[in-house]
Amino acid sequence: MVEGTLAKLAIPGQRLGSIASYSAGPGTHVQNANIYASIAGPIVIDPAQATAKTKSTISISRSIPQNAATKPVTTKSNPKYNTLPTVDSVVLARVTRVQKRQATVSILVVLDDSAATHPLNPSHTPSDNDNVAAILTSAANPENHSSSDELRFQALIRKEDVRVVEKDRVVMDEMFRVGDIVRGSVISLGDQSFYYLTTARNDLGVVMARSEAGNMMFPVSWKEMRDPDTGLAELRKVARPF
Amino acid sequence: METVKTKDSAPGAATRPQRQRQSNELRKIFLKTGLIPSASGSSYLEFEPSPALAAARSTPKSLIPPSSALKLACTVHGPKPLPRSATFSPNLVLTTHVKYAPFAARKRKGHIRDASERDLGVHLETALRGVIVAERWPKSGLDITITIIEAEDDRWWGDAPDSHDAPWGMMNVLAGCITAASAAIADARIDCLDLVAGGVAAIVSDGDDAAPRLVLDCDPAEHWSILSACVVAYMPSRDEITELWLKGDGSKAVLSADDKRLGNEALLDGAVDAARGAHTVLAEAVRESAERYAGLALGGPAR
Amino acid sequence: MSAQRQASSASQTPHISPAELSYLWSSLALPNNPIRPDGRSPTQFRPLSAETDILPGTNGSARVGFADGTQAIVGVKAEVEKTVAAADVSSLSQRAQEQFGENQDGEGKSSATTTGHGSWVQMSIEIPGYRDDDALPVFLSEMMREPLVESVSSGGNADGEMAGGLKGRLVINRRWHWRLYIDVLLLSQPLSYPLPLLSLTTHLALLSTKLPKLKSLGEEDPFFDDDWDAAEYLYPRSQSRLASALQLRPPVTLLVISVGENVIFDPSRDEIAVADTLLAISVARDGGSDALKVLSIRTVDPPSRLTQPGMPNAENPASLESAAVAEQAVNGEEIPGVWRPRRGGVKRNTVAKMVKLVLQKGGVGEEVLEGLEGVEVG
Repeated sequence: MVEGTLAKLAIPGQRLGSIASYSAGPGTHVQNANIYASIAGPIVIDPAQATAKTKSTISISRSIPQNAATKPVTTKSNPKYNTLPTVDSVVLARVTRVQKRQATVSILVVLDDSAATHPLNPSHTPSDNDNVAAILTSAANPENHSSSDELRFQALIRKEDVRVVEKDRVVMDEMFRVGDIVRGSVISLGDQSFYYLTTARNDLGVVMARSEAGNMMFPVSWKEMRDPDTGLAELRKVARPF
Repeated sequence: METVKTKDSAPGAATRPQRQRQSNELRKIFLKTGLIPSASGSSYLEFEPSPALAAARSTPKSLIPPSSALKLACTVHGPKPLPRSATFSPNLVLTTHVKYAPFAARKRKGHIRDASERDLGVHLETALRGVIVAERWPKSGLDITITIIEAEDDRWWGDAPDSHDAPWGMMNVLAGCITAASAAIADARIDCLDLVAGGVAAIVSDGDDAAPRLVLDCDPAEHWSILSACVVAYMPSRDEITELWLKGDGSKAVLSADDKRLGNEALLDGAVDAARGAHTVLAEAVRESAERYAGLALGGPAR
Repeated sequence: MSAQRQASSASQTPHISPAELSYLWSSLALPNNPIRPDGRSPTQFRPLSAETDILPGTNGSARVGFADGTQAIVGVKAEVEKTVAAADVSSLSQRAQEQFGENQDGEGKSSATTTGHGSWVQMSIEIPGYRDDDALPVFLSEMMREPLVESVSSGGNADGEMAGGLKGRLVINRRWHWRLYIDVLLLSQPLSYPLPLLSLTTHLALLSTKLPKLKSLGEEDPFFDDDWDAAEYLYPRSQSRLASALQLRPPVTLLVISVGENVIFDPSRDEIAVADTLLAISVARDGGSDALKVLSIRTVDPPSRLTQPGMPNAENPASLESAAVAEQAVNGEEIPGVWRPRRGGVKRNTVAKMVKLVLQKGGVGEEVLEGLEGVEVG
């Protein structure tokens, strides 16, 4: 079935079925009680759970599932209609500015569901996330502060969203430094210019950082990273590495 | 090539190219997506050169080619964040930019967009905005840039510039822009209601005494005079038009005897037929884009 | 901001809540009997005041004010200009043929003198709050210039003077022509899409435009009668009042919207905000018959596509609606009373219906032209 569905490609405007027999998923739209494709790509039919009386969901895949068999059990997640950051999506972002009450970051990558479930394997995520490693190394490079930040979605990490405990004792300078790569979760679409991120979870926080000396550091605790060459420790809100 | 005696076929003078196609036959369209890797979506479109142009290219008789064939490239950038100064938008904000290359037309175009290029940009925006499912992309912008590499002529070069001076070539250019932009948007995987295709029909006259008749996809260089022309952006699956631009006086058109339509209705139907033709090419190009994309994701392991 | 400006209609989006939009749309879409916010009938226009010949420094001018306070002034100026020699192949070859003594009817030759060039008519529009290279003014001026220069009356009874349409009228002789500058000034920020106002004002200004009487003959360098009283109208008028209906007049551009099945004329700003389709239709009287003819149609991007969607109760966390509605919402179906930004285009028969309402005998087009004829000109 997997092969069969993958082979079938739809183009925008193509009729896929009626809403009597299917429900419309991402990549499709409804017009006059019929489901039509709205992007070009393989048709994916997600069979209804036997217990539920819901209909099968028909959708057009944006990122081709590499291995539909090992598809993570979809725990009632919101269907994703675009590649933009949405509430609850996990993103990798680079810190561009640290202020007293907030840190400004620019979103580099929106990790999709499969990546979110295996956070340590970003290189296995398909489609637009496939060059995560490339993006990160270039972004972590301090010489690469190009103007491309203008083209990325901006986000804010407010002081009270940094960690769960001792929220009132947070000192932003001891949590993030400019250039750090942070894994965060989107909590709000925010205003016209910023999304809002939180790092208040063990697996969220700084994942890559350079020391004052410019060396890549390794995490040693939930609030400390160390430079392998100089041996000096620096304070960060560190994401659990595993 | 059959030679038709017209008022222009004087001895020694250049002859106007003749339409070799049936009145409802379109020029062939070459359309390919994904040629510009740095853009999130792109397409390249080319019209088949007319037989006269093809002949002139192989065995040039004159320094000036008899007609021109449309060539254009379209890039889609985005979805990307809106500029800081922009207000909140729950929808995708579309920006269209149509620019002739300086060498695209017989008369050199400047580097700053002139009124006709801005006008084309607005037409294109109208055509596309009706197609895009904008509410799926909140807070983001989409830039569509079209570069016209070779433009369609407004008339045959041998005609005096005042004989029919309206920019008829622009209408063919717009139809090409619509089709190409539609392919590039599909290539960028922005949600659309349908693939919107552009088509042109015109009411032309081939001489003072010839009755005005309806032709699809007219090449302005091939006709003595164009009375009226119409461009549509058409969605076949919904049978709807998102952009309509008709100009000129089509009331004198001579249709077949049992045809009760007004000139403008016949034009509109003709343009829709032309768009249907372009849609078949468009659908093929987008299918190719989807296949290439699927093949890439399946075949190539993650880098 | 520039991205927003780019849109021809975005700047027109009024700040109306989704609930209001939905209410407005459904009252305008009532089958056969739309209810407009200001109580007009679907084809009724807003009252306006107009006067012409208000600026002595111009060849022709007009002012039109709408009841909502927006006003436009148009000034027309004409200059004599040398025609750049435009030799075409056909006339060259004809000349060659004449030299060879071949006999050919001089039809092509004489027609070359009566055709003009579209670029001889220049139009610029100034709207407060817009730069003159913004999309809206550019689009509007192209939209209005197009039918103007296109209106070649090929009718049989058109007297020789106006045979080539406005373009032909501008030809003085082979080497000289008039250049016409039409400058449109909107005096206040537009409260609705300013097209009808600008088009009506331009129409009246052109009607009142006079060109000095030519005293030179044929191919001489032109010189003119300096008596302004002897000047001739750009659009010549016959003396008898009887033939006034057949007089040549500049085209007018009407703004028409469709909402549901209904077609509504002269829409206000709020009505445009919910329009499914927005068309600008330019019409003029045909020289030959008394009927109207279409000179151009353009779709204008309706701002309804950019509006904010309403939120159905099912998706609203503040309300406790049951799951029956929820399923509908998930499927992306329209829920009555919940506003969705318009998407898609217009059906062909809707366009045909709109055009028919403008063109038909006793239709809106005639009504507008008759109304304009009532304005005392000159």
